[in-house]
Amino acid sequence: MRKPQTQTRPSDTEMEPLVEIEDLRVSFRTDEGLITPVDGVSFSVPRGKTLGIVGESGSGKSVSTKALMKLLPQTAIIDPGSRMRFTRKAGGVVDIARLGAGTREMRDIRGGDIAMIFQEPMASFSPVWTIGNQMIEAIRLHRAVGKAKAREIAIDMLERVGISNPDMRVDQYPHEMSGGMRQRCMIALALSTNPSLLIADEPTTALDVTIQAQILDLMNDIQSELDMSIIFITHDMGVIAHVADEVAVMYLGRIVERGPTAEVIHNPKHPYTKGLLAALPDLDHIDRRLVPVGGDIPGPMNRPAGCAFHPRCDQFTSGLCDAAIPHYTDTGDGREVSCFLVGQDEGAR
Amino acid sequence: MKEETLLKVDSLRMYFNIAGKGLFGRSSAAIKAIDDVSFDISRGETLGLVGESGSGKTTVGRAILRALKPTGGKVLFNIGDRVTDVTELSGKDLFSFRRHMQLIFQDPYSSLNPRMTVRDIIAEPLECQKYGTRDEIDARVREVAERCKLNVEHLRRFPHAFSGGQRQRICIARALVASPEFIVCDESVSALDVSIQAEVINLLQDLQAELGLTYLFIAHDLSVVAQISHRVAVMYVGRLMEFAPTESLFFAPQHPYTKALLSAVPSVHPDHEFAPVPLDGEIPNPAAVPSGCRFRTRCPIAQDKCASEEPEWREIDQDHFVACHYAGAANATA
Repeated sequence: MRKPQTQTRPSDTEMEPLVEIEDLRVSFRTDEGLITPVDGVSFSVPRGKTLGIVGESGSGKSVSTKALMKLLPQTAIIDPGSRMRFTRKAGGVVDIARLGAGTREMRDIRGGDIAMIFQEPMASFSPVWTIGNQMIEAIRLHRAVGKAKAREIAIDMLERVGISNPDMRVDQYPHEMSGGMRQRCMIALALSTNPSLLIADEPTTALDVTIQAQILDLMNDIQSELDMSIIFITHDMGVIAHVADEVAVMYLGRIVERGPTAEVIHNPKHPYTKGLLAALPDLDHIDRRLVPVGGDIPGPMNRPAGCAFHPRCDQFTSGLCDAAIPHYTDTGDGREVSCFLVGQDEGAR
Repeated sequence: MKEETLLKVDSLRMYFNIAGKGLFGRSSAAIKAIDDVSFDISRGETLGLVGESGSGKTTVGRAILRALKPTGGKVLFNIGDRVTDVTELSGKDLFSFRRHMQLIFQDPYSSLNPRMTVRDIIAEPLECQKYGTRDEIDARVREVAERCKLNVEHLRRFPHAFSGGQRQRICIARALVASPEFIVCDESVSALDVSIQAEVINLLQDLQAELGLTYLFIAHDLSVVAQISHRVAVMYVGRLMEFAPTESLFFAPQHPYTKALLSAVPSVHPDHEFAPVPLDGEIPNPAAVPSGCRFRTRCPIAQDKCASEEPEWREIDQDHFVACHYAGAANATA
C-alpha cells in the first residue's frame, strides 16, 4: 500500500474546502456483473457549511458518502482515478481514496474527524450496552482520556443535545428511549469526538415532523457552536431547503445540478430537478394535480447510455442526449448543471 | 344513517391488555390505542387520517377492516340498501362482507409474495370469493391491470422484476379486483420516491373518480394528505383532536396540536419562514394517558383547566370539529 500523500499548508486552510471529492467512481462486483452506482461525482464542502445531497433510490447518494468513510463492502471498487481530499483536524491533507479501510489513519479519521449519523437510530446502537457504555468507548478510542473523564464528556454531550437528566440517561439502554431521544443520543455519540465533518444520512426520515423539527433545530445550533461541516443526505426537498447552504441533486450515480440552495429550488435548471419539484405535493396549492416524472427509475444493471435521465426527460433530443454525457455547464450563479439544454456546449464528450 | 354516508364509526375503542395475568389472575393495565373515536365517510370521499407514530391511526384502519376485533363501539357500513355493523359479524358473514373492503399497504416490497406471479397475486381475492371460471378471472385481472396502468404482457412475471412504483400499482390492482367500495390506504405512498409517488397519487385519484371509490387515507406526510383528501381527521394518542374539510383544516387550523404539526412541515419555498411551534417532549405512552386533555403535556397554551377537564368535541365552524377548551380563543394567543 502506498503511503498517503500528506502536505501541510496551514496558511490557506481557511480558504481550502474541508473535503474535496473529485471524479469519484464506485463499482460493485455482483453476480450479474459490474455495476457502477457512483459514476464520476465531484463536490466539495467548505468549513462550517452544509451540503445537501438530494436524490431518489439508486442515485448513489449513500454510496458516495460511505466511500468517504471507507465503509463500503469488500465487493466495492473505488476507481483509481478518484480523489477524496480531506483536511485533517491536526492539519495536513490526506487523500482518503488512497487509504486502506483498515489502516490506523483511516480508523482515526472514521469517527474522529468524520462522524456519521443514520436514519434508523435503533439499528445504530447495540441493544445490549447502555448508551453511556457505547459513547465512552467511542470517546476513549479517539481522545486520550480516562474512563471517568470520558463519562463526563458523554454526560455533557447528552445535555447539549437536549436530553433531560443526562446523569440518569447515560446508564439507560437504547430500548428505554423513544425514537427522537435515540436520534439525539446518536448525534451526541457522533459529536462526542469533536469531528470536523458530520455525515447525516437521512437522519430525520424515520421521525415524526414535530421531532424532525426539533432535530433540525438542534443540528443547526450545534453546527454554529462547533463550526462543523455537514453533508446532509435526504430525499425531502423541504428539509434541504431549510438546512443546506448548497445542494447537489443526484440521479443514477451522477450529480445533475449543484448550486446554492435557494437558487436551485427557486429556479431549477436541470429537467430532473424541475420534475422533482413539480412532483412534490404543495400545501399552498392543494387543488393542483401533481405532475409526475414519467417512467420509472432504471435499475443499476440497465443504466441508459448518454445522459442517464434521457428516457424520462420530456425535452430529450434524439442523437444527442442518448449519445453522450453532458458536461457540467457553469451558469454563472455558482451553479453547475449537467444538461445539453443548459448553455449548449458543443464539446460534448 | 344518511344515504350518501358509506361508513360511520361510532365511539370506536380498541384496548390491548399489557399486564397479562397477575398473581391473582387479574389484568388491569391496557393500552388504549383507540379511545372513543367517531367519524363518518361519505361515498366517493377520501378521508385523511394524520397523526404522529403511536397516535393509533393504523389501528383505526385495522379495526374498521376487522383485522382486529374492536373492544367497543360500532363500525357501520351502508352497503346494498342495508346498514351492517362489522363489529358484530363473524365467520361466514364476515368473510363474505370482506369483499366490500380492501387494504393497500405501505411497503410494496414486503406485501407481495415473491413466489407468485403478478397474475396470481391480483387474482387471489377473486379466487377467495369464488368469482368464476379461470377465464372469467383472467379477463377481470387483465381489465383491472390495464386500469392500473400495468402492462398486461407482464402479468406472468414475478414481483422482483418490477420497480417500486410498478409494485405499488400491482398492490392497487389486487385491492381493486374484487370491486370493493371502501379502501384503506395505510401509508400507501410513503415508501415511494417523490417522482413515483406523484404518479400513484394521481392514479388513486383517477380510480376514485372513475369507480366512485371511498378511501381512508392514513399517512404522516401532511402535504400528501392535503393533496388527496376531502376531509382530514387529526389523531393524537387514540383520540381525534380535530376534524374538518381539508381547506379549513390546513388554512384555519383550530387545535394547537394541528397548528404545531403544520408549522413543523418544512416547505420547499425558502421564503416561507420555518418557525415550528416548539412542542415539548414526545407523544405520551398510550398506557398512561395524561388526565384531562391528553395533549396538555406538550401544549403551548395549556391552562389548569386542561388537566382537570376533558375538552368536549364541538363544532367550532361549519363541519369543523375540534376538541380543545381554548380553540378559537387560541387564535389570539398562539
